[in-house]
Order: sequence, then structure tokens, then C-alpha cells
Amino acid sequence: MIVPMKKATLIVFREDRDAVTKALQRCGEMMPIPPENYAKAGEAGETLRAEQALKALRPYQAKKGFLAPRQEATASQLQAPNEGAGELMAQIEGTAARMEEAAARKGELKNRMEELRPWLPMDIPAEALGGTRLTGVYSGYIDPQKGDLLWKTAESQGGAAVLLDTGPQGTAALVYTYRPQEEALLQELSAMGFSQAAPPGTGLPKDVMARYEAEFAQAEKDEEKAREEMSRLAQKREELELYFDQSEAANERAETPYGETVHTVYLEGWVRADRTERLKKALDKAADCYYLDFADPAEGENPPTVTKNNRFVTPFETITDMFSRPQNGELDPNPVMAPWYWIIFGLMMGDAGYGLMMLIGLWAFKKLKKPRGDMAKLVNVLFFSSFTTIFWGIVFGSYFGATWHPLLFAPLDNPMGMLIFCMIIGVLHIFSGMAMKMAAQIKAGHFLDAVFDEVSWMMLIAGLGLLFLPQTRTVGAVLAILGAAIVLLTAGRAKKGVFGKIIGGFGGLYGITSYLSDILSYSRILALSLASGVVGMVMNLLAGMVQGSVIGFVLSLLIYAVGHVFNLAMGLLSAYVHDSRLQYIEFFNKFYEGGGYAFRPLQINPRFVDVVSGGENQGGN
Amino acid sequence: MTLGLILAIIGAALAAILPGIGSAYGVQIGGQAAAGVTSEKPELFGKLLVLQALPGTQGIYGFLIAVLVMVRTGMLTGAPAALTTQQGWAFFAACMPIAIVGLLSAISQGKAAVAAIHMTAKQPDSSAKGITMTALVETYAILALLVSVLFVFIGIPV
Repeated sequence: MIVPMKKATLIVFREDRDAVTKALQRCGEMMPIPPENYAKAGEAGETLRAEQALKALRPYQAKKGFLAPRQEATASQLQAPNEGAGELMAQIEGTAARMEEAAARKGELKNRMEELRPWLPMDIPAEALGGTRLTGVYSGYIDPQKGDLLWKTAESQGGAAVLLDTGPQGTAALVYTYRPQEEALLQELSAMGFSQAAPPGTGLPKDVMARYEAEFAQAEKDEEKAREEMSRLAQKREELELYFDQSEAANERAETPYGETVHTVYLEGWVRADRTERLKKALDKAADCYYLDFADPAEGENPPTVTKNNRFVTPFETITDMFSRPQNGELDPNPVMAPWYWIIFGLMMGDAGYGLMMLIGLWAFKKLKKPRGDMAKLVNVLFFSSFTTIFWGIVFGSYFGATWHPLLFAPLDNPMGMLIFCMIIGVLHIFSGMAMKMAAQIKAGHFLDAVFDEVSWMMLIAGLGLLFLPQTRTVGAVLAILGAAIVLLTAGRAKKGVFGKIIGGFGGLYGITSYLSDILSYSRILALSLASGVVGMVMNLLAGMVQGSVIGFVLSLLIYAVGHVFNLAMGLLSAYVHDSRLQYIEFFNKFYEGGGYAFRPLQINPRFVDVVSGGENQGGN
Repeated sequence: MTLGLILAIIGAALAAILPGIGSAYGVQIGGQAAAGVTSEKPELFGKLLVLQALPGTQGIYGFLIAVLVMVRTGMLTGAPAALTTQQGWAFFAACMPIAIVGLLSAISQGKAAVAAIHMTAKQPDSSAKGITMTALVETYAILALLVSVLFVFIGIPV
């Protein structure tokens, strides 16, 4: 059922604005309508800062189990200001900066040490390079293979050379020269590839290295300290997560699109017609004096869609919502779609053993993880469908891929029977969609349209189906001919001129192809149930082959477990996808338009925290 | 072993090989696209995984037909039937719909899955629409599968 909506107009004094916004957010019943050319006023800076800090903490926090409970907070806690968080974030930012700086220092030192290493054997301080009046001392790098050549050349030209260690830039070398002859020698050396370079730092390279090492150790210590600090801070993560949700809620409030006058603020929004009282009650507590008025949506206004159904149908709404939400004024397809989705899902899985696995697994998941929102709905869809899976599994006698006493028949033994069964399911499914269309047409007063467009086709399709049974052949033929005649005579009724009407009639009759392909599409139920049945059978076969010894027996257990879990997972995916497709394309196509949008009231929408009390309508619509 | 049995084995092998290749390709290009999106938006992993897995079903369908042929010809029980050459060709032909359509439709579906993955990257709420668009391609693999199943199961007398 689609809940009717009211448009609320709220006017309060400026000084009450904060209190009223908090009350609105806490009751979560009003979806504000932003005025035209409204620019968002909120500032997401704090939220962003908290997010950055949380990101910095992530590598240091203790691994949280998949089933670990979430932090809980009351609505008033989530709306309260949080002074402590600023300091915590400053600490995190400071520590992260210190750690980054230490890491950068380490990298820099490492480079310098690498550069210095070939110079370590040098036993004169770096300042002594350059030489005296009569001798020159030059330092530089030479290709390691030309070291000997360098040495020999220097000797032969009245100088000397000392080769030090080899580093990434080449072999470090010292060249001693006799000043009067050095010009020629240096030229020859540089032609050989000797490039002059001074060792890094001052003093003996050995001492420089010791200094670097000490600095490096210090940087390492700093980094370690910062890391410890981070791990310590990571324990306060929950506080920060709470702060994130608090500042997000505050942003939401700041972004509430109020119109303003000198003394008052003004807000329009959508409210569920059955919950206007709740809004009034919340406002009574928040402000002494306010103006609140509810009106039905005016012509041309498009309120958001809220569907309200019983506990069985509600989870299935998520399937429809993924396609398109119903529009206000349209029939809610969910009450009809839900049982069909449920039945067809079970048919596609069609194995009692797998159904039992689903039932137990999903029940445990629901109990332990307590999923929320859309996730909870999806889990419930699968949970409900485990019952039909078990049911059809028993009907078709399929237990973990093995056939055992089918009540009807086993699809593997009688694929033709199963195919016909699937087509019958398909016809009924499509007929119920057409019935929805008829309901809408009759509601709109177009009774004849319902007869011409829907009843005629139902007669034609049912008649064609009955032709297959010898007992009902005559009835079928009459029905089919009658249906076809109505289509032929009425499908062109909107067209102008006799010629147009005739063409329209034949064109309408051509629509039989689309009905045919829709019905054939249900053969996928057979294909999917065969697929999961045969894969399960193969797993049993494989496991049976290795049995015979103790090791083989253990191995077979492994094959059973892995094989059936894999098959179940693939089966679930296929059933989910193809069952949805049957609803979207074959079923909705007959009557459903959609195009509505979601009701997103102003409310606390925490990412990390669960709201425990004080929010009357949190997390749902 | 008769020539008929060998032909049936070739058919079953092709039913397992060709759709397997197609599915591997389809899942591969889907995986590449999904990995790229996940690097930017890790929270979409669950939705993308569904899209990536969609072209994988053809491989299973082909496998299914291969097993059905083995069941029908008694290869699994260790006492293979002495098929005539005609029966062998019939089994071979029965395997072809899923072998060929499975190969090509898995590749096509992979391409549709890539497009749907890109769409999901930009509009995570539309992932169900992307799944539906991608699943439409599979219809033809399912039809081919059914034809093969019906041939293998009831079309060929052994």
C-alpha cells in the first residue's frame, strides 16, 4: 500500500530554529523541500577532518571481528556537541605529521649514507681535499673497470691515485697531482670518465657516517614513538566515530533548507499523512509557539513514495525499489510481487538441502550480525525464500542434488513436465500482472479498456494452453478464437479511420509474439533448477569416486562441503538475478510504471553508531 | 569403443570447452573493470562482484550438458553404451547449441557487464538496473541450454 503524503508548512521564531531542527531530526518524520534556487549552507569541514583522522588511525586499530557489535548511542548523544573530539583529532593529526616527518628524514639519511659509503676508507678529512701549494688532491668517481687505468695514468704523469670503494655512482677515487703538471693529467683523466665530486659532509667520512647513523636511529625511534602513540590513539577510535556521526548530523541540520524573514524561519516538507501527530508532538516539546499546517499535495506536485506493507511483504520492497519506486497514485505492486518472487525463487533453487543450509545460515547471520536497512531487507528476502526452497525441494524430491521420493516428479527425470510446469507458473504470473492493470483501469473508470486489452489476451492465452489437453480442446478453441476476435476488433479503436482501425487490430494481434516470448522466458526456471541439481549431483559423484579409504573418506567430506557451498552460492546469485528479471521484465511490463522517489526525512543517519533510543523512527520509513 | 561414442565425447567436450572459454573471457573483462572501480570505491565491491559473476553461468551450462551426455551414454557408470555413428552425431549436434551460443553470449555478456560496472561506478544506486541489463543477454544462453537439454534428455533414443 502506498501511504498518502501531506505537505507540511512550518513557521517558527528564529531563536527556536536550532531546537526545532533538532526535534525534527530526532523524530525523523519530515522530508524538507528545498525552495527553488536554494544553495546548500552547510559546511562539511569537520566531518571531513574526522574522516581523515579515522583514515590515519585505520592501520593501527585492532582488527574488528565481522560479527563485532557496533557502538551504540542515544539520539540526544548524537545531537550533542562534542568538545573532546577536537583535541583528539589534533593529537592524531600531530602524531601523523610527526610520523611522516620522521619517515621523510629516514629516507633522506638513507640516501646520504648510500652516497657516503664508497668514501669510508678515505683517511683524510674532507676539508683537506684541494691540496697544498705544490700538490693537488682531487676526489671523484670513475667507472669501476677503468680503476687500474686511472691509477696507472696518474702514476705515469707524476701523480698518484688511491681507489676507494665502489658505490652506485662508480668507484670513488682520490687523485694526487704535482701542481705544475696537473693540467694535462686532469684533462686526460676526465677524458677517461673521471668526474670530480666531493664526498658528502665535512670531516672524516667515518665520523660523518657515525653521525648519520645516530641521526637515523633517532628518526627511527621518533617514528616508533609516533606509531605507539597512534596505536594508543586508535583505542579511542569509537570516540572519533561518534564524533563523525555527530558532526554529520549537525551538517544535516545546518543544511535544512529554511526560508528566512527577520524574525521567523519557514520550512516546507513532506510528512506521512498517518504520522502528522508525531510531528506535532515533537514540535510541542521543542518550541512554545509555532505555526504548522498540513495540506494535500497540489496538482503537479510530486510527493515522495512510502510503501507500507505487512511483515512478509516489506523486505521484498527492496526488489521493486531497485527497479523503480512506485509513484504516488499508482497501485503498490509489492503485495502481488512478493509472493511470486518468493515462490519463483524457491523453484529456481529447488533443493531441500540447500534450502536448509540457507535457513540455518541466514538465521544465524540475522541473529549475530543484525543487518540494517536495505541489507536487512535483502537478507530477509533470502531468509523467507529458504522456506519455498525447502518446499519445492521436497515436492521435486531433491536433497543436495540427490533425488529421493519426489512428491510430484523429479525435474531430471521429466524435464518436459517441469518445462510445462514452469510455463504454467509463468502464465499465472503474467495473468496476475494483467489483473493489476485491470484493477488500475477499473479504478480509473475504464472498464471496457480492461476487457479489450487484458481479458481478451487472457482468454486467448488460456485458450491456446487448453488446446494441448484433449478433454478441453473445444473449450480452448472457443476461448482462443473469442479472445483473438476481441483483440482484432478493438486493438485499433484509438486509431482514426477504418483503415487505421484494421491495421491497429492486426498490429494488436501481432502482440502475441511478445506474450509468447514472455511465457517462454519462464523456461529459465527449469534451466536454473536443472543447473543446481546437476552440479550438486556431480559433486556427490566426485565425492563418491574418492571414497574407499580413510583418507578418501575425509577427502570426500571436503568435496561435499566445498562443492555444495559453491553450488549454493552460484545458485543464490542466479536465482536472485533471474527471479528479479522475471519480475522486472515479464511481470512489471504488464502494468507497472514506477518513477517515484524515496522518502528521505531529516533524521540522524549514523555511519558507525547504532541509535538505541530517543529516535522514534530511525532507520526506516 | 564405437565411433558413435567418440563423437558423443567430442560433443560433450566442446560443450564444456567453448562456453568455459567464453565465460572465462567474460568474467575476466568484468573483473578488470571491477578492479579499476574498486581501487577508487572499495565500498562497491559487493555490487561489482555480482556483475562480474554474471557471465560465468554459461560455463556452468556447458558443463551441465557435458555431464548430461555422460549420464545418458553411461560413461559415468563405467559401462558406456555402444552408440551407433548416427546416435553419436545426434549427441554431437545436441551439444552444439550451448557450445556455440554459450561461447559467444558469455563474451557479449561480459561486455554488457563492463558497461554496467562503469554505470555502477558513477551511480551505485543503479546497480540493479545494470544487473538486469546484463542478465538480458543470458536469455539466449538459457534458450540454447534448454534446447540442448531437451535433445540430450528426450530427443535421442539410446
